[in-house]
Amino acid sequence: MFDLSVITANAPLLWQGLLVTLLYTISTIATGLLVGFGIGLAQLSPNRAIKLMGRVYVEFFRNIPLLVILLWSYYALPIFLHVNITKSWAGYLSLSLYIGAFYAEILRAGVEGIDPGQVDAATALGMSAGQRLRRVILPQAIRRMLPPLVGQSIIQMKNTTLLSAITVPDLLYQGSYISSFTYKPMEVYTAVAGIFLVILVPLTALARRMEGFHGRAH
Amino acid sequence: MGAPTETCILAIENLHLCYGPRQILRGVDLFVRQGEVVVLLGASGSGKTSLLRSINLLAQPQSGRIVIGGEPIFDRADDGTDRLRLPAKHIERIRARTGMVFQQFNLFPHMSVLRNVTEAPVIVGQIPREKAEQEALALLTQLGLETHAGKRPAQLSGGQQQRVAIARALAMKPAVMLFDEPTSALDPELVGEVLRAMVALARSGMTMVVVTHELGLAFEIADRVVFLDGGKIVAAGPPAEILLSPSHPRVAAFVARFHESVDMLKPFLEAV
Repeated sequence: MFDLSVITANAPLLWQGLLVTLLYTISTIATGLLVGFGIGLAQLSPNRAIKLMGRVYVEFFRNIPLLVILLWSYYALPIFLHVNITKSWAGYLSLSLYIGAFYAEILRAGVEGIDPGQVDAATALGMSAGQRLRRVILPQAIRRMLPPLVGQSIIQMKNTTLLSAITVPDLLYQGSYISSFTYKPMEVYTAVAGIFLVILVPLTALARRMEGFHGRAH
Repeated sequence: MGAPTETCILAIENLHLCYGPRQILRGVDLFVRQGEVVVLLGASGSGKTSLLRSINLLAQPQSGRIVIGGEPIFDRADDGTDRLRLPAKHIERIRARTGMVFQQFNLFPHMSVLRNVTEAPVIVGQIPREKAEQEALALLTQLGLETHAGKRPAQLSGGQQQRVAIARALAMKPAVMLFDEPTSALDPELVGEVLRAMVALARSGMTMVVVTHELGLAFEIADRVVFLDGGKIVAAGPPAEILLSPSHPRVAAFVARFHESVDMLKPFLEAV
């Protein structure tokens, strides 16, 4: 039978785990947006060397599984660099750099999807490269980028569960911990899944509505 | 022709342009005087749009010289050596002295009609917004668009959008207006309103370089018709002279095709 008391008795642990999950989600999305903006612009650069660097970054992080990146940066990187890297830093940096690559792709695709005639028109009016980007390209690109940005951020929240592999005490880690001493995996993991659903279903619905809005925008 | 570069509002000398291995312009000379309307004609692929886009450096030529209003914007030797080395800021300032109207209008879809017209004067020309809006409304009124100022481009017809694009280009008070097939993307019934706006502009004394397939427009507004073939100017002169008694075989063939389509229409016209 489903024993709800396991959840209520260990609610503080789950709550702590949820806070850690949210902390990592929000901080790595914020950092990842900065990284993605920089790398995305690099990918759009007319300079071939800078463009290639952006491309290499994106392909590097898109083609290594996140779990491998996490384990590598926590267990292998310290040996390479002869430094101590805490699990919080390893987790924070891995997740930020990882999602940065995906945000960079969203930015690149968003900007490249803009009709080249828009750039022609802005250029012909005498706008500088910066003015073209700020006044004409980005305002149009951001509209296209919002739905995939929200979608990728939702995936990021789910991806934080991989932090438990390097023993960061996130929601899933606390769930495993509770289940290890209560022997009630069914109740605990159902609760963990339920918490994700409650948070992410409204966000997904929001992303869907934004897609519809985007369709009507132009 | 042969007008000295200094007295021309636009001077193009020995312009060469290629896309990769394809040679598009092979030594074009074109001098446009203040208030003159030049219509560029030619088959597709003859280089007329490339020539137009070279004037404000939307296309990057390999060599030659371009002077706008007495200021050189481009000057490269035959080996491609840049004799000007203009900073981007400088190029942008000279470029703003030309106004361009595109085949696909290219209005900014995220801005109102008014904002489309005021954006460049405000952020490039550094004119106070209020003054720019007054001037923009005057331009829109002149083009019969005053009731559309608050709308988005997508709410307008193609003909209206193209007239907004003309207003947007005029708002920068250009010394010369460049038109790149401005009616080619329009439904036939919307061509007239854009042509009328261009005729009015030509009559007002605006210097214009126009790429078009509308031979009627060429007759109506051109002081000079320039015919391009294979990246070179093969004929130039008053429209009546060039189009009615073409001496160059390619011009003759071009005009003959126009006659053909008129001939095909004849039964319909006679039936009406």
